[in-house]
Amino acid sequence: MITAGIDMGAKNIKVVLLEDGKKIRARAQELGGTDTRGATEKAFNAALFQAGLKMADVSHVTSTGAGRANAPYAQDNVTEVGAAARGAVFVHPATRTVIDIGAEEGKTLRCDAAGKVIDFAVNEKCAAGAGSFMESMARALEVKLEQLGPLAMKSTNSIPMNAQCAVFAESEVVTLVHQKHSKEDIARAVHDAIADRITSMVRKVGFENDVVLIGGVAKNPAFVETMKRNLETDVLVLEEPEYVGALGAALVAAENAGVK
Amino acid sequence: MADKKGKYPTEPLKCWDKAKKIREDYYKDYASAHEKGGLRWAGGAWTFDAIPAGLGDDVHPITSEPYGASCAFNKEFSLKCLEATEKAGYARDLCAYMRNYWGSILLNQFAFGGPFPKPDFLWQDHICCSHAKWYQVVSELEGGIPHFSIDVSVGPEHEINANKIDYIVGQMHDGIEFLEKTTGRKYQDNLLIKAVKNTCRSTSTWAKICELNKTVPAPLDEKSMYSLYVLGTLQKSSQEVADFYEEVYAEVRDRVARGISATPNERCRVMSDTQPPWGFLSVFRYLEKFGTVSIGSLYTFGLIGAWEVAPDGEWVHRKTPMEQGVSINDRDKALRVLTEWELHKPEWQHFYSPHLKSDMMIRIAKQWKLNGVMLHYNRGCEGLSLGIAENRLALLKAGYPVMVFEGNMGDEREFDMTRTMSRIDSFMETLQMKKEFE
Amino acid sequence: MKEIDVFREWKNKRHDYARDWQKRTGGKVMGYFCTYVPEEILYAAGVLPVRVLGSHEPQNVTEPHIFAMFCPFCRDCLAQGLKGRYKYLDGLMIAQSCLHIRQAYTSWIKHVPVPFSYYLCMPHKVQSKRAYPYLRGELEEFKKAVEKWTGKEITDKALKEAIAVYNENRRLMRELYDTRKQAEPPISGEEVMEISMAQQMTDKKEHNEALRKLLSALPKRKRDRPAGTRLMIIGSEDDDIDFLHMVESLNKEQYAATFVVDEHCTGSRYFWNDVPEDKDLLMAIARRYIERPPCPTKDWEERKRIPHIMKLAKDFGVAGAIIMQQKFCDPHELDNVVIRKELESKGLKTLFLEFDVTVPIGQFRIRVEAFLETIKQDDLF
Repeated sequence: MITAGIDMGAKNIKVVLLEDGKKIRARAQELGGTDTRGATEKAFNAALFQAGLKMADVSHVTSTGAGRANAPYAQDNVTEVGAAARGAVFVHPATRTVIDIGAEEGKTLRCDAAGKVIDFAVNEKCAAGAGSFMESMARALEVKLEQLGPLAMKSTNSIPMNAQCAVFAESEVVTLVHQKHSKEDIARAVHDAIADRITSMVRKVGFENDVVLIGGVAKNPAFVETMKRNLETDVLVLEEPEYVGALGAALVAAENAGVK
Repeated sequence: MADKKGKYPTEPLKCWDKAKKIREDYYKDYASAHEKGGLRWAGGAWTFDAIPAGLGDDVHPITSEPYGASCAFNKEFSLKCLEATEKAGYARDLCAYMRNYWGSILLNQFAFGGPFPKPDFLWQDHICCSHAKWYQVVSELEGGIPHFSIDVSVGPEHEINANKIDYIVGQMHDGIEFLEKTTGRKYQDNLLIKAVKNTCRSTSTWAKICELNKTVPAPLDEKSMYSLYVLGTLQKSSQEVADFYEEVYAEVRDRVARGISATPNERCRVMSDTQPPWGFLSVFRYLEKFGTVSIGSLYTFGLIGAWEVAPDGEWVHRKTPMEQGVSINDRDKALRVLTEWELHKPEWQHFYSPHLKSDMMIRIAKQWKLNGVMLHYNRGCEGLSLGIAENRLALLKAGYPVMVFEGNMGDEREFDMTRTMSRIDSFMETLQMKKEFE
Repeated sequence: MKEIDVFREWKNKRHDYARDWQKRTGGKVMGYFCTYVPEEILYAAGVLPVRVLGSHEPQNVTEPHIFAMFCPFCRDCLAQGLKGRYKYLDGLMIAQSCLHIRQAYTSWIKHVPVPFSYYLCMPHKVQSKRAYPYLRGELEEFKKAVEKWTGKEITDKALKEAIAVYNENRRLMRELYDTRKQAEPPISGEEVMEISMAQQMTDKKEHNEALRKLLSALPKRKRDRPAGTRLMIIGSEDDDIDFLHMVESLNKEQYAATFVVDEHCTGSRYFWNDVPEDKDLLMAIARRYIERPPCPTKDWEERKRIPHIMKLAKDFGVAGAIIMQQKFCDPHELDNVVIRKELESKGLKTLFLEFDVTVPIGQFRIRVEAFLETIKQDDLF
């Protein structure tokens, strides 16, 4: 039986096709933009093409993400927190803590071996800890987003940056640039600041090994390094981290369709 | 007549209209006090309103926090008030009730119509940093109004001693001198004694009503309780409020006897904490879709309610001095009884240690049979959000699932409805409650 | 100048100082929040009171304990405890004033074990005559608790001596401040802030000795830059040395400026008035704390801070005031509107800046320079 999970994220729509609740058949994503319905269709069709399947082959569709209530094709939905837990435990069964940093929201959760959520926290008003902040920092330093992490890894000097308030942080970066600090050191300061905010959130819920990282920002090596340092434990980046939410939704779809 | 749409029969509250009328009349009486030669004054919901009652039967208060909440109900009006206050130079992180109230004065617009009626004197208590300072600014905004605040910050209830009571009672005596001087009226001790007894009766009865929510299914849901508890925050010393609460108690007891539920499909019980986001009370209705009901909170129970721990460990209403056989024959005794009574207020304890509040919250969770807790990290009130992070840790340690949502009781710009609903969805998922009811 | 360096050393190596003091004297060290703590009683018991201040480092440990809407200072203070920097404390206490800092105390004692802790219910209505017997009663209880903790009686003789040492310390600090009334003050605001921070963390006898040495050396000292615009700090809890340094090292031809006085929590409010003469020593101490320049949480129903600030501004010949507002600090936010109005009505310019654990020095520089320009422009007319 084929089920599908659609993650209607704030920025990107992700689709995962799953066979018998076990085997991943396809993964596809599309920029949400202003026509999210069109983007979802595109992503869904791309996934079907990848797997060599037709729409009629899909038995059950579950959505997740910020826009899950309005997802086309979906028969039901599961919250991002629930989907993240299920997907992470599927990919890495020893997962007990998931840190999910997306474009607009950062969240952390603790779960049990079955992927059931025990407690969770989402970044609150006063926190600069999400992907869009990374993007604006990359702009301030005039580098591409993908270059930000590698740049930070080259730094040999840590400069304290507060970043309690995203606006304050941006003006701090401007100050650091004028003080002629190197781009590498500033990039590292930005990562440290964001990691601090995320770490604060993680400490609120507490963490238990294994700790895994999902969501777009997980692909940033400097961020991962800093989190390992802060938590003083290993932090694993799951394969295809930005698809874990959609995968979790596909697993829930399988459950809802009666797959054991 | 009972409605049976779900698992339990429901019925609207009969006392609803009377509660509404008492509240409406209260604000009318305040605004029109001068017309009949009466007096009007302003102070906080925790102020010792029993004391100005000794000036006569035509003395009408307005309490600041409920007024601030009334402003917040009307989002458009509230925004105008908040912006006026910011324009005057005041920071956005100050108490949201206070900013609504000041804005109302700056705009000279009363939330209930007409210009803002200037009080004759200000009579306040002080326990949170803003209390007395609120009225210091009010006096300045209105060109000077006589102002007297009583410091009640003397420590938690288990440390009360004669020295602390003397401090408060001494201020009260000075306050009465202030009232006589300011109003030119002669103080009447018999009116004070009556008002003190009403205070004890209304706050004790409110607690009795809340106790009935230990029943499964709960006869009241928290959203409805807000419309009832507010009367105690307006004027706990009035005979009308004390009498009305006894009527409410009788009605709720009857609901319990007949198995009437607040919500048709109660299967999950939670409590909240701190003031709700007043402009967004629909979150409570949203909970019903999951078969979840909020049975109250330490806030709803203990803001005005008077409680004690019974010998068997149950949290129950505090027995009034009258019930305990204490007689009040003179001014000083009345003030002492009032002081001691109020110092046991549950919502005054956490100002000294959040761990005292955690104990109370865990007790509520046990005795009101809860499945989880929803904490409003309320940016609008530092006093009641004080130590809330520690309360969360303690509740989790005691085994209760806790959900947190950030917001502001009186500044709608700081509340994100969509995000909060999403948070609730996730929380309900962890409690394994599906969204399946209308 | 070595007479000033000693204070900087104490402030920078505050933990080393406290541990060393413990070894030297065998006495106990009591950490405290809030300057309403009656240090004289502790000192008389042979205890060293040290004020807990933050370290101005970003941290990620307080989020589970204190909601982020509360001031950065209280979170910074709690972080010091959670990070184990104050392991050597024998006791921790707080005297009741503002709400936010109470959380640093209550979370600390729950999660970081301290052998002795105390919450002193310092009254808020210091303008009421009823506060005197009340506080005296609270001090009586406090004294008993300290005696139980240290295991020995606090004699009247010890109390008298402690009061004398503390009053001497206050007198010497006021003398230091007096030197700043000169047209060319021999000492900068940054240096004085270091001295007053050190004052809150060291044995007052030792601080007195260092002050005496400094006061005798000061008349010979000439700063290497003109005083320029005379500024005042009005604030919450502030120990932003970096900020003061930036202001006082701006280009001396265009933007010379010196902080000549302050009215804030970590500055003059801490030491301004003495314990008065009174046969009843506990009442004398109570009087001192009731009558000191108030924290805004205790400045009601009348405003006593305003005339005090205006007098300081006049006595020290201040041309402008910088309001150093600790982010989210409600009590000061409640006062600042009226303070600014009052200062400006008397022709004093004000600059309002909001402070966090770290600050955007670059942005602040621009604003301070613009502020100094507007003051100088006024002088030209």
